[in-house]
Amino acid sequence: MTSNDLVAIAPELIVTITALLVIVVDSIIDHEARRTWLPALTALGLLAAIVAPNAYPMVGLFFGGYVNVDGFANFFRAVFIVLALFATLVAPAYLERKGVPPGEYYATVLFSTLGAMTIALATDLITLFVGLELMTIPIYVLAGIQRRDRYANEAALKYFLLGAFSSALLVYGFAWLFGVTGSTRFADIAAFLKTGGIGNGPTIVALALVTVGLGFKAAVVPFHQWTPDAYDGAPTPATAFMSVGPKAAAFAAILRVLVSGMGPLALDWSAVFAALAAITMSAGNIVALVQTNTKRMLAYSSIAHTGYILAAVAASSAGAPAGAAVLFYVFAYGVMNLGAFACLLYLDLEGTRGATLDELNGFGRREPLGALTFAVFLISLTGIPPTVGFVAKFLVIQPVLDAGYAWLAVILALNAVLAAFYYLRVVVHIYMYDAESGAPALVSPRLLSFSLGVSAIAVVALGILPNSLYQWALTAATPVLP
Amino acid sequence: MTLDHVLTLLLVVPAVGLIPLALFRDARAAKQIAIITTFVELVLSLVMLSQFKVGEADFQLVEKADWLPSLGIRYFVGVDGISVLLVPMTTLLTFISVLYSSGGAIKQRLTEFMAAFLLLEIGMVGVFISLDLFLFYVMFELMLVPMYLIIGIWGGPRRIYSTLKFVIFTLAGSLLMLVGIVAVWLASGDPGSRTLSLPELIAIRDHFSGEFQFWVFLAFALAFAIKLPMFPFHTWLPDAHVEAPTAGSIILAGVLLKAGGYGFLRFALPLFPSGTQVWLPVIITLSVIAILYGAAVSTVQKDLKKLVAYSSVAHMGFVTLGIFVLNSQGGVGAVLQMLNHGFVTGALFLFVGIQYEKTHRRVIADLGGLAHMWPLYTTFFGVFVLASLGLPGLNGFVGEFLVLLGTFQFGGAPLGGLFWGPLAGIGVILAAVYLLWMFQRVMYGPVREAYRALPDLSPIEVACAVPLLVLTVLLGVIPQPAIAIIEPSLDRVMKLATDPTFLVAMK
Repeated sequence: MTSNDLVAIAPELIVTITALLVIVVDSIIDHEARRTWLPALTALGLLAAIVAPNAYPMVGLFFGGYVNVDGFANFFRAVFIVLALFATLVAPAYLERKGVPPGEYYATVLFSTLGAMTIALATDLITLFVGLELMTIPIYVLAGIQRRDRYANEAALKYFLLGAFSSALLVYGFAWLFGVTGSTRFADIAAFLKTGGIGNGPTIVALALVTVGLGFKAAVVPFHQWTPDAYDGAPTPATAFMSVGPKAAAFAAILRVLVSGMGPLALDWSAVFAALAAITMSAGNIVALVQTNTKRMLAYSSIAHTGYILAAVAASSAGAPAGAAVLFYVFAYGVMNLGAFACLLYLDLEGTRGATLDELNGFGRREPLGALTFAVFLISLTGIPPTVGFVAKFLVIQPVLDAGYAWLAVILALNAVLAAFYYLRVVVHIYMYDAESGAPALVSPRLLSFSLGVSAIAVVALGILPNSLYQWALTAATPVLP
Repeated sequence: MTLDHVLTLLLVVPAVGLIPLALFRDARAAKQIAIITTFVELVLSLVMLSQFKVGEADFQLVEKADWLPSLGIRYFVGVDGISVLLVPMTTLLTFISVLYSSGGAIKQRLTEFMAAFLLLEIGMVGVFISLDLFLFYVMFELMLVPMYLIIGIWGGPRRIYSTLKFVIFTLAGSLLMLVGIVAVWLASGDPGSRTLSLPELIAIRDHFSGEFQFWVFLAFALAFAIKLPMFPFHTWLPDAHVEAPTAGSIILAGVLLKAGGYGFLRFALPLFPSGTQVWLPVIITLSVIAILYGAAVSTVQKDLKKLVAYSSVAHMGFVTLGIFVLNSQGGVGAVLQMLNHGFVTGALFLFVGIQYEKTHRRVIADLGGLAHMWPLYTTFFGVFVLASLGLPGLNGFVGEFLVLLGTFQFGGAPLGGLFWGPLAGIGVILAAVYLLWMFQRVMYGPVREAYRALPDLSPIEVACAVPLLVLTVLLGVIPQPAIAIIEPSLDRVMKLATDPTFLVAMK
């Protein structure tokens, strides 16, 4: 281990130290001080972590080749940190209101982010698996952090059981892969498969197990059943984070393992991915159509978004544009979906419940700024310009057509129409109905409005001027999908 | 004096107007800001028109800038004879809508209403000046959300059903067009040299195979057919119009529908000549059905607004018919018909709205005898009704006449112009039937006591109607200047669409 190694993983070190500091500081300072100092400390740590790789740009293999700091890793690092920062800034008022211990919330978010960042750096199956577990286990805690709430307990338990199950499948698949190829390194696996080919039983078993395992993490239909209950029952700020962070990390893993590591197999495997993508987006959207609770609706719609991203993965034969589409979509989805969930924090409801459509009636009048940001996020999730969500859809359709999946592109377009129906129905309730007498109380914490406002502006700005983000995604995707 | 970047300014002015609107959040200020902004925009569009060189076919006042350089996507705007008149039409109708709405027709959330209109104006102007398909798509969709809010928030009792229907229909078409746009982009060259700029795409369109054109034309045509709307995709239109507030109806009928007809002329025809040839019989048949069906259904409408809405379906049938007979007369007639329909149907919706504000009735059977109390209203309304049914001397006649002329000359398709021409001609006669019968039932007959005390047009309403009246008469009496502007560019499009060297053999 050299000093270069440490500088290369400076962002990870900073996040680790911040997480530990949060735990220490939490136990020293008094209750009042925690409310302001812990989120401030977390935010500062995350900001430092995002600045660090720019201050000392280090690219290459470190720790004897077990850590790969490339454009891809840096892109995902930035995505994870931005999402963690967003999840930190929207939470304080909710945590205070619900009596959730803030130190534990911020520390678990930080540890989970650390795990996600490790996935992006991985060059072998073991580092990847460690990263995946480090990311997921804090999320189990996060889901159940409101421990007196029945639904939060259910969410945590369901998420834990199915998460453990999928991890087991994944690690079993990794074992098969090691058995077949004799190595845990992605590069060696890719080289072996290039000569050996897919045409033997054990490789197919390994591939199937890894696909199912990662499919669980990314909530691909038919491995999605844990999603709605886990998202619905978890505390809303936690839901906002877990709907985007782990999903982005799952796609980082899919790109590293299935697309890059098993690159030679991609052509044979892509038809399966295309079918899974079509099923995932359609099922997610159709079930979302009939939801009346917005939190549950957003949970199902996040499954549909998995399908859109998976369509770009399936089109990996189109090369770097396909990878860029995945990265761009993951970032766009992260910001707008986290934002949409966070908009539910304006309503003061009992337990971990999200607002029903009727409870949102008149929201546009009662909380104009919050409603406007909510509308922006929903329109972006629908994919209507000038928002980043539209550019993301455009970028996904392009490799899908290029790879020859015209039918998938048409299904994607029709799915976006289905999605428009339920996303815009929320806008209808926000703006076009008046509040009824039993409407839930509103809270409007300044920090929440500020962070939602900033991200809504970003959603529109990146929709109008997407070029720099796209360029970045394109360079970042090149190491994985040349 | 020439003004540089006038087209970009046209997109910037409404956006600038949004800023003070957001800052003041006061109903009175909102009215003034919106009126001033849309007036400046109107003047600017006339400056643009004055800088346009008549007689040239190519794009003028062109501006280009890199937007998404890695994808070859550019900010690329320009106008030619087809679009240069549609822009001032848009700004005029927007100004009138804003002016009328500030006169008391909109009672709640005025700031938001005006903001929606300014946003809508960016999209509408943008649609007519975009020369890059990506930019066009963005503008096409930008019109959607404000109109969705305008119908959904300020509309009638069934507004939510109507507005969702409007959005879902339109989105279904335009998202398929998006797939088509991406397909065109992929077919435009090797990675690194791809483009979505219209002139460059036209230059390389012989790369588009027959089968490719068949599907991509269909994707584009669906979007435009739904927007226009063509029979049988028109079902969203009556619902949307009936529930929309007056200003929303004016813009919806006056401008938004034109985006469909314009899209056919600007993109579908020149880019996919053999796709056009294949789908042409279908579109001509549907156009004539729309003309007859729209007229027949209008005749039996009980609701005044629904009658005008269905008459739009018939009028838009003339637009697609004129475009797809693929000759100069038909095409010029179609563009004129778009303009005239914008002014005349915009005016009809305005007058139906004014009438409703006073009587709170829209069912024809509940009205009657209005002519005795409202001489001014009757005169204006009468002229617009006559223009709409195509009376010679008023603008409606010129467009429909040219379309019919073009149709009679049409030699292609299964049945030829001598079959379609007379059928479409019946539509003109039916228009006279339903419009005059409506006028008679609404305006004449015994005076109803309930309406006796209602006032005639207010000054602000007269101010809204006069420019439309002047244009209706002017374009009817001397259509030649407008034709001179439209013709060169239109001939160019028609030449591109029918050029035999580019007609790829169909598989």
